[in-house]
Amino acid sequence: MIGEGSHSTNQRRHNYVQENVEVGFFTDPTVCIGCKACEVACKEWNQVPDDGFTWSGNSYDNTGHLGASTWRHVMFVEQDRRKGNQIVGSHSLGNGDGDPSAGASAKAEDPFRWVFLSDVCKHCEEAGCLEACPTGSIVRTEVGSVLVQNDVCNGCGYCVVSCPFGVIDRRPSPLPDAGGAFKCTFCYDRQKSGLVPACAKVCPTESIVFGRLDDLRAQAAKRVQQLQEAGYQDAQLYDPTETSVRGIHAFFLILGEPEAYGLPPKPQIPTIYLKSAWTSAFATAIAAVIATLCAFAFL
Amino acid sequence: MAEAHPVGFRWAMKAKERGATIIHVDPRFSRTSALADIWVPLRAGTDIAFLGGLIRHLIENDLFFREYVVPYTNASCILSDEYRDPEDNGDGYFSGWDEEKRAYEDDSWLYKGGDLSRPERDLTLQHPQCVFQKLKRHFSRYKPEMVEKICGIPPQLFHKVADALVAASGPKKTAAVCYAVGWTQHSKGVQIIRAAAILQLLLGNIGRPGGGILALRGHASIQGSTDIPTLYDILPGYLTMPHKGDETLQQYLDNYTKKTGLWSGYPKYMVSTLKAYYGKRATAENDFGYSWLPKLTGNHSFFEFLYDMLDGKMEGMFLMGQNPAVGAPNSRLQRKALSKLKWLVVRDMVEIESANFWRESPEIDRGELKAEDIETEVFFFPAAGHAEKEGAFTNTQRLLQWREKAVDPPGDCRSEAWFMHQLALRLMAKAKASTDPIDESLRALDWWYPEDELGDPNMEAVLAEINGWYTDPVAGGGDSGRTDGIVFGRDREGNPHHGKQVNGFAELKADGSTASGCWIYSGVLGRDGENKANLRKSKDYLGHGWGFAWPSDRRIIYNRASARPDGSPWSEQKKLVWWDSEKWTGIDVPGFVKGKPPDYEPEVGAEGLDAIPGDAPFILHEDGLGWLYVPKGLKDGPLPTHYEPLESPVSNELYSHETNPAVHWFTRSENRYAPPGDAKFPFVLTTYRLTEHHTAGGMSRFLSHLAELQPEMFAEISPELARDLKISNGDYICIVTLRGAIEARALVSRRIRPLHLDGKTLHQVALPYHYGTAGVVRGDAANDLLTISGEPNVTIMEAKALTCNIMPGRLPRGRAFAEFLNEYAPQSGLTDLHPEQPAKGGEKMHSHAQEGKT
Amino acid sequence: MKAIPTHKATAVNARGYRNAMPNERRLDQLREEAGQKSVVTGRGVDVASGPIPRKSGYYGQPVVKPPVWTWEIPIYFFVGGLGGMSAVIALAAALSQHVDLAQTAMWVAAIAAILSPLLLILDLGRPRLFINMLRVFKPQSAMSMGAWILTGFGACVVLGLIAIELHVHQVFGGALDQLMRIVADVLMFGSAFFGMFLATYTGVLIGATAIPAWFLHRTLLPIHFGTAGLGSAAALLELLGHRIVALNFIGFYAVAIETALLIWLSMDKHGAADRAIHQHSSGWLIRIGEILSGPLAFILRFFALVPLAAISFLLGALVSRFGWIAAGKVSGSDPESVFAAERY
Ligand SMILES: Nc1nc2c(c(=O)[nH]1)N[C@H]1C(S)=C(S)[C@@H](COP(=O)(O)OP(=O)(O)OC[C@H]3O[C@@H](n4cnc5c(=O)[nH]c(N)nc54)[C@H](O)[C@@H]3O)O[C@H]1N2
Ligand SMILES: Nc1nc2c(c(=O)[nH]1)N[C@H]1C(S)=C(S)[C@@H](COP(=O)(O)OP(=O)(O)OC[C@H]3O[C@@H](n4cnc5c(=O)[nH]c(N)nc54)[C@H](O)[C@@H]3O)O[C@H]1N2
Ligand code: SF4
Ligand code: SF4
Ligand code: SF4
Ligand code: SF4
Ligand code: SF4
Ligand SMILES: [Mo]
Repeated sequence: MIGEGSHSTNQRRHNYVQENVEVGFFTDPTVCIGCKACEVACKEWNQVPDDGFTWSGNSYDNTGHLGASTWRHVMFVEQDRRKGNQIVGSHSLGNGDGDPSAGASAKAEDPFRWVFLSDVCKHCEEAGCLEACPTGSIVRTEVGSVLVQNDVCNGCGYCVVSCPFGVIDRRPSPLPDAGGAFKCTFCYDRQKSGLVPACAKVCPTESIVFGRLDDLRAQAAKRVQQLQEAGYQDAQLYDPTETSVRGIHAFFLILGEPEAYGLPPKPQIPTIYLKSAWTSAFATAIAAVIATLCAFAFL
Repeated sequence: MAEAHPVGFRWAMKAKERGATIIHVDPRFSRTSALADIWVPLRAGTDIAFLGGLIRHLIENDLFFREYVVPYTNASCILSDEYRDPEDNGDGYFSGWDEEKRAYEDDSWLYKGGDLSRPERDLTLQHPQCVFQKLKRHFSRYKPEMVEKICGIPPQLFHKVADALVAASGPKKTAAVCYAVGWTQHSKGVQIIRAAAILQLLLGNIGRPGGGILALRGHASIQGSTDIPTLYDILPGYLTMPHKGDETLQQYLDNYTKKTGLWSGYPKYMVSTLKAYYGKRATAENDFGYSWLPKLTGNHSFFEFLYDMLDGKMEGMFLMGQNPAVGAPNSRLQRKALSKLKWLVVRDMVEIESANFWRESPEIDRGELKAEDIETEVFFFPAAGHAEKEGAFTNTQRLLQWREKAVDPPGDCRSEAWFMHQLALRLMAKAKASTDPIDESLRALDWWYPEDELGDPNMEAVLAEINGWYTDPVAGGGDSGRTDGIVFGRDREGNPHHGKQVNGFAELKADGSTASGCWIYSGVLGRDGENKANLRKSKDYLGHGWGFAWPSDRRIIYNRASARPDGSPWSEQKKLVWWDSEKWTGIDVPGFVKGKPPDYEPEVGAEGLDAIPGDAPFILHEDGLGWLYVPKGLKDGPLPTHYEPLESPVSNELYSHETNPAVHWFTRSENRYAPPGDAKFPFVLTTYRLTEHHTAGGMSRFLSHLAELQPEMFAEISPELARDLKISNGDYICIVTLRGAIEARALVSRRIRPLHLDGKTLHQVALPYHYGTAGVVRGDAANDLLTISGEPNVTIMEAKALTCNIMPGRLPRGRAFAEFLNEYAPQSGLTDLHPEQPAKGGEKMHSHAQEGKT
Repeated sequence: MKAIPTHKATAVNARGYRNAMPNERRLDQLREEAGQKSVVTGRGVDVASGPIPRKSGYYGQPVVKPPVWTWEIPIYFFVGGLGGMSAVIALAAALSQHVDLAQTAMWVAAIAAILSPLLLILDLGRPRLFINMLRVFKPQSAMSMGAWILTGFGACVVLGLIAIELHVHQVFGGALDQLMRIVADVLMFGSAFFGMFLATYTGVLIGATAIPAWFLHRTLLPIHFGTAGLGSAAALLELLGHRIVALNFIGFYAVAIETALLIWLSMDKHGAADRAIHQHSSGWLIRIGEILSGPLAFILRFFALVPLAAISFLLGALVSRFGWIAAGKVSGSDPESVFAAERY
């Protein structure tokens, strides 16, 4: 939803940090134009190094995935499906200008769509990375975001396997600052001085909306409804509030299933596995001790 | 638009949010298509057939906005009996063709009687010689079935578009047309825009809010560089460059001054320009220095002098912010031409291909050129970037926006203004020391600009001159006088230089008492001393209070058309400017004489703006009407006509002549065109931009954050073609034309689709043109494949529609390249040429052309 | 040949997230060939079948991140498990008056206690900041708990060993020596306490992550790691000459459980979700490891080929640790495994 000029939360200065207001991102692919300005602005502001010049052949996406040197990532999903009531060539009209060698089936409706979605760290309500971090390098900020304090992180890599969304990663050498774990900072530095995160600020269509979490959630619910009424039957919100992650602060509207965007449909925070694992560990330990003691006591 | 103008596309998206329908017409499914409501794929180079089909649809089904069309356009004007339309004998020619000159004699295109000011009209539109009837007949064969045959757009889809357009027309609705180089870079680019103009006039979409034809321009301030031109054939404010034959000022003014309409002020604009150039030295006695202006002897466009370079007729060149070794068509030839120069000055921020061609070009790699044999001495000057200098940009909507310097340029980097200023000072010093009459124009220049410690001229002082002032210096002068209406009143030496600022072009005089560097910009820095380009508080939805839109801060031109003929708004929601019983008023600055009532009827013989009736909004035209039909000014006909691209896989369905007759072919053995339907080149080739890169790449391929986003040259092809050629996504393929061959990765995507024309399957191939051999990421230049060609009116090349072939595999390197190319595109002789291509030198040079780059 | 695009940063790309074209080398070959023979008629490289590859998820990109850990970690798992359980054996041996054995076992534990942190630090992205591990005490982080366990273990084992040695060599006399004994006893208790968790927590460490192949087996992993640790400790002590029945019994206990785990693992399959454990090289590593330390060691021990059984077990324990880390990498890079795992 494109905000109204200077009233837009993407443009306004704010005191969210000072006022301890929870903030978030609502990202809406139905207005994203795939310009990657968010990706570039993030790298510029945060001085994130380039991470290679490899052409992927995957549509227009040569970035691939979020990682230590990619904190914003715009996805380019090509699907044989319809986007709302969009007409793309005569394909959508059912008279098919498809391959005539395909015979009669080419006459059938042959939908196609190209969806862009700008992915980012989800700033989970229950964050796997934060819980896992043994150094306390990862903290929860006043605005509810999850922040890696880079001067504390010793690069143990445990957060990497603890994020259910595959966001945070350890930066390989020879890149600058190699060895540490990196991810989106939610532009905490900018926010502290009242500025909007760089990615949201530059987004020309306000596909990335920055604002108060409660406002955004309301706005998102309205938007989904509005889109569904406008023919986007597969529009849905991706915000896993029902799982142990208990919701994300950077949530997304998606068209179709989350899998197509590389998003786990039911992400869980790994701490829920602790109980059974520790139980097993205790049992094993005790059993080992008993077996050993028995061995020495009776043999 | 989403690809190349992403920030502007914000507004298209906003409109969509409010219920607007977005239609995207493009051979490729681009980022724009992804967000559009309707994507209309068509064969590249066939837009006139499509637009013509829509025009016919509106006329035949009486769906046009009659209340608007009848009073405001020239639909009712009666044409001369001599006029012949291409329909008359189906050959594709208008009347007046001169085969020897390969040009039109355009007298027969005029209105009946030859007078443009007071045309004879038939408001019933029934007269057989009236524009409306001619228009109807001209497009009568552009039926939906014909559109399908030519463009590959099936009738069902055609009607979807037509219905959406009609639904957005009328008193309460408007629709806008946006275009950029997908329409201009054709051998008939101007006529494509003309077709859109006809469509918009018929729909009543000009001069009204939400309407218009919006040229989305290219480089930052490219609009500015046509307003204050870097082009060879116009002077600031679209004054014509004097031609050989325009010997005296009087002759010149007689030739270009229009009796009626806004151009009746031509002498004022011209003399004020000359006063800005030559200051005190321009006097009534010496024709205000008119004789010092160079006179055009022919087409001196970039392509013309490129051939001179190739032939060793040109010694040196300045390249200031241009990279022809990658960005210009037939770039193999461009690089060869550069190697023939004695010296070359390149001002750029990075060492682009045009500066390092002598050691790194593919020609060196292939042994076609040897570094040690190239005598060109290259002077590379590091340029300051846009944030390192101040000045104004003029953007797409004619808006001047001032930009302050954010940081000093690093090291020896200097701004363009610094360079030109310092060069001018040095050249003038040399001229002063000489007595050669040819140097007189340099000696006469009024080069007064105050400068700063770095030697940069004061840019606001330049803006003040562009705005214009009274020439009489006020005693004392001085910057402190800014409050008295004098801005920068002292020259570099501290002497009084000029008087008060003018407040707008209406104050300009033809007697030498005023000077103005560009009349249309007048008002940007007026007597209040306020730099209006630097205003940053918009007051209304049109943005008044933010920057300055020429002319006179008018945001929508011809806005008289936003009111009915009687002066009342067409509707409440589309009101903009209206007559409030004694004057024109409204949300925008009215583009009309303020006190002229709607029912004003000019007297016979009235001149200037007085000759424009109260219900004729198009005041730049002598008749004040919107021109559906252009009676004068175009080189290739008064109405748009479908011609095939110069290279096309099919023949013209409508006319026996395949291509635009007036086009410049620039024939040369290295610049050949394949004949229509040549089996050696079966695919349509088009080129385009990526959001991630900028033009010839100097500003993106060298920056890792952009370069990593699109790191390699690729070609977009359809799955169907990939299957036929046994190509997988990611394979290397070679693309070959008669001019050259390049290598690219195949990006196989359903975003490119085969077209079905008349039962025949036709494949299109799309190439981004940003890659070259320097920078962080590299790739072959698409322009190695292109031809140099010249649209008749503006000499733009046809970069959007050609033919090519594809070979799976990698392009041979080194000397083997020549063999490879020769195998697929025989390089010897001029065999297999396009039958309409004139032999080398067989075409007349056309003077008077305007060259455009967007 | 300058005009050829060069990709200077492919090295950076070692982790392969970019889904780089699989066969850059083949492309280079073609490039060479083109240079020499002038024309290349053959095709480039297929990304996948058909003109447009269709991979699961988003172009087959990983959904979670595979572990960044390298060879140090599986070795640490092995060494830590062995050392931890050695301390347990040392305590039992001490309690049952096998002083010699207790002493050797303490030595083994102490060496492991010194090696382990070295291995861990070696794997850190920023080894100089290793001490930050002790900035916080975080029960919900297995890594934090591990750090504290290892610290506790190290302290107890090293000090305990010093006390033992002081006591054994009678450096002090009288009351001080008695004190040494008590201190040694207490520290051995501590060593055993931390040791049993050092050997098992590693299962929790990787079991409580987002990697499907790991978290689906979070109950099995601590049993496997702990038991393998116990078995390894016994095996090593046997190889060091302590051929006593108790150790043999422990050996049997371990191989029996490992055999049972092998059966469990081959029955408890989760399809695509944990295919990394059953397929790929990671699957082979795990299986080989399990066979070496399970059935094979069992048979060897059954036929009283104790040294062989011990070697087989040790090898198996080591290989299977590598196998599990490899499985984590494969599973973490496989989007389908993540999608499939969420059904369990
Ligand atoms: N990111 C980015 N932005 C830019 C630039 C850049 O290089 N990069 N360049 C700037 C400059 S200098 C300019 S001039 C503008 C140009 O802006 P655009 O004109 O938007 O640029 P192109 O991509 O060259 O062409 C537009 C579209 O025309 C389509 N096309 C090709 N042939 C035809 C045809 O025959 N008919 C129709 N209807 N469409 C056709 C192409 O597929 C392409 O999608 O962009 C400016 N903005
Ligand atoms: N095939 C094909 N060819 C095309 C087109 C196409 O669509 N298809 N489009 C055409 C169009 S529309 C255009 S505009 C041209 C563009 O072609 P060019 O103008 O040749 O290419 P650019 O890369 O824009 O060159 C601008 C250079 O200016 C430098 N520069 C930037 N800022 C400054 C500055 O302040 N001072 C100085 N001195 N230098 C500066 C940049 O680094 C860059 O190298 O390409 C044309 N060529
Ligand atoms: S998405 Fe991953 S990295 Fe981001 S907060 Fe959640 S768990 Fe941490
Ligand atoms: S790598 Fe850094 S941020 Fe991640 S868990 Fe380890 S110490 Fe914490
Ligand atoms: S919030 Fe800041 S750090 Fe995070 S993606 Fe946006 S720009 Fe990057
Ligand atoms: S900046 Fe906005 S519109 Fe552009 S890619 Fe990012 S989210 Fe999409
Ligand atoms: S590069 Fe500049 S001019 Fe072009 S879209 Fe972006 S902001 Fe606008
Ligand atoms: Mo352009």
